[in-house]
Amino acid sequence: MSAPVSETATQALQEDAPVEKPPRGTPWWANQRIGLLLLVVLLGALFGVLRPAFFNQQLVIFPLLRDIAMFTVVGLAQLCVLSIGHMNLAVGRMAAFSMMITGISYDLFHLTLYSGLLVGLVAGTAIGALAGWVIARTGVNSFVVTLALDFLLLGMIPLVYTSLTDNAAFVVKPPGMRELRNYSLADVCVGNVCGSPAVPQLALFAVVAMVVVGWIYSRTRLGRELLMTGSSVRAAELSGIPTARRVITAHAMSGCLAALAGFMLAVSTGSIKATIGEEFMLPSFLGPILGGTLLAGGFVSIWGTLIGTALTSVIRKGLDLLGVGLESLNIYLGLILLVALSTDRVRTLLSDRSVLGGPPLTSPPPPKREGEPR
Amino acid sequence: MTRFARSTEMTLLVIGIVFFIGLVIASGGDLLAANSSRVLLQFLAVPILIGLAQMVVLAVGQLNLAVGAIGGFAAAAMGVLMADHGVPVPLALLIGFLLAGVVGLLNGVLVVLTRINGFIVTLATMTILLGVQYRLVGTRTVDAYPQGLKTFGAAAIFGVVPWIFVVALIVAGLLAVLLKRTVPGRQLLASGGNPIAARLSGISNDRSVIVAHALSGAILGVAAILTVASSPGVNKSIGGDWLLPSFAAPIIGGALLTGGSAVVLGTVLAAFIVRFVDTARAEFSLEPSWVNFVVGAVVLGSVVLGQVRTRRQDRRSVVKSPDAAVAGGVS
Repeated sequence: MSAPVSETATQALQEDAPVEKPPRGTPWWANQRIGLLLLVVLLGALFGVLRPAFFNQQLVIFPLLRDIAMFTVVGLAQLCVLSIGHMNLAVGRMAAFSMMITGISYDLFHLTLYSGLLVGLVAGTAIGALAGWVIARTGVNSFVVTLALDFLLLGMIPLVYTSLTDNAAFVVKPPGMRELRNYSLADVCVGNVCGSPAVPQLALFAVVAMVVVGWIYSRTRLGRELLMTGSSVRAAELSGIPTARRVITAHAMSGCLAALAGFMLAVSTGSIKATIGEEFMLPSFLGPILGGTLLAGGFVSIWGTLIGTALTSVIRKGLDLLGVGLESLNIYLGLILLVALSTDRVRTLLSDRSVLGGPPLTSPPPPKREGEPR
Repeated sequence: MTRFARSTEMTLLVIGIVFFIGLVIASGGDLLAANSSRVLLQFLAVPILIGLAQMVVLAVGQLNLAVGAIGGFAAAAMGVLMADHGVPVPLALLIGFLLAGVVGLLNGVLVVLTRINGFIVTLATMTILLGVQYRLVGTRTVDAYPQGLKTFGAAAIFGVVPWIFVVALIVAGLLAVLLKRTVPGRQLLASGGNPIAARLSGISNDRSVIVAHALSGAILGVAAILTVASSPGVNKSIGGDWLLPSFAAPIIGGALLTGGSAVVLGTVLAAFIVRFVDTARAEFSLEPSWVNFVVGAVVLGSVVLGQVRTRRQDRRSVVKSPDAAVAGGVS
């Protein structure tokens, strides 16, 4: 929050540095993402040993990767607003709203699969920009605005569905939707070389989203301006950054990514219905926060979001295969979240102590607390 | 008096009364009948309490995402203790209440000890408690607890004012006195309003955070007792829809997310208004979704209006780091 701008800029530049090579001054074990990656690999191996079925390409790996891809996009949607220190509590409902528009476009206007997706993305961007506009105009904090928007959409979406459809779902499916759901990279061949049957084609959407978002935050002026707005609005304002417009941009990006995640969910469940996105809120925070993105703004980690999401999805799937009831999974997920963040705090303290000269740059600084001078 | 006339509470009171009169006219006077009044107030008790539970953490500049989970967990624990283990009613209620309080306390301690953002801590405890609640009741509905408790839940003074509503009002009164008149309450508000000043005056901000979370848990314990008493049974969905209303009531009531404000009356009045919206929805037999829609619009409208009002009072630049204060406060 109060980090000087120069430091944030450094962080922004280091963002695209490969994760295996932590910047000077920080011991490698203090890099949160490496620890997480190891944890994902170890857990994957453990589950594989306990239940060999874990490595079943068709029944486990394929849906697992599809989930990871979708929740990574959800996480990126949250990451965009976290980068300016805001929150988007309506992330799931924005997905539902854009899918409603997409559904209408399929149902009433008979658009093709991808033009419908485009309409949905535009709708998501619009609703996100609206949230951002209200926040920037009124100065009310994002938590309240997106919470109220969540309420609004929660009320509005079922009304639209009941008035337009018979059983609360759009039944008209454009051609290609079912194929997209089941196709893997094995169906994409260049000459004689085909991809792995374990990787769903839907995962490509997540890859594209990661590349675009990563490019924006690491290479473009826009991304740097967003991060600076996140680390200190006043400093950003004084350096001539149109912070109000950046707030709108960040929320619009969030809405757009939420729409993409909604589309991925609609394709993988095979139906466009009002309940899309209901379970998005918790994962949307889990991924980025575990991956090291700061709640206070000013630092994002795209890779971290992927790894954080992968960790939760692997745990979910593994425990599910081990026969732990789906609802009891929540207990473990909550505990893991707490433990992961606490150990991160311990690690930051330790690396602070062992490296004299400058605070660690990759690990987030300890969260600001009550009573510390701002 | 003039200060009160211009306060949020006064606005809410006027809106509430106008709304109520409109409803009475629309229902052709039916709403004034003893039975409808009783039903109206019966379903107000729990919303008031969950609003207050959120208000008290907002007062110290934190949030509690686990309101529904704590309430649901405590209610499930009480139900299971009474129905499956034959624990006497008062003891079971006491245990449930204490469990809720302890979980709240734990939230506070975790926030202070780990320095993790309160948002994330309560998100984690919410997730954990949802799992525990499911473990306790599974897919069944526990309703085999003594009839006496249900009789209390349905009982009303003169057949109009339900006892559970009176309990909620007593809690609200106690909370108001605690926040406004006692030393821990004043310290809590001071920590929420300006942590640095509070610390310089020798107040422990950490203790204020813990007290606020523990109070929130305790209020949710009472809410759980009232829920168990007034609903036909306890299942896994209890508390599932508490989160959004818990924020709606204090925010409409004029609470600041940055902390330092104690709006007990405002929260209670806001809960009334939300309840009126629900009654109106039933009166005109509209879809339940309308309630969320209207409440969302009202919350958005009231924060925007409140902002315009403060803006007029002291003119500030457009982007005055809207979230800077919150991020600091929420952390």
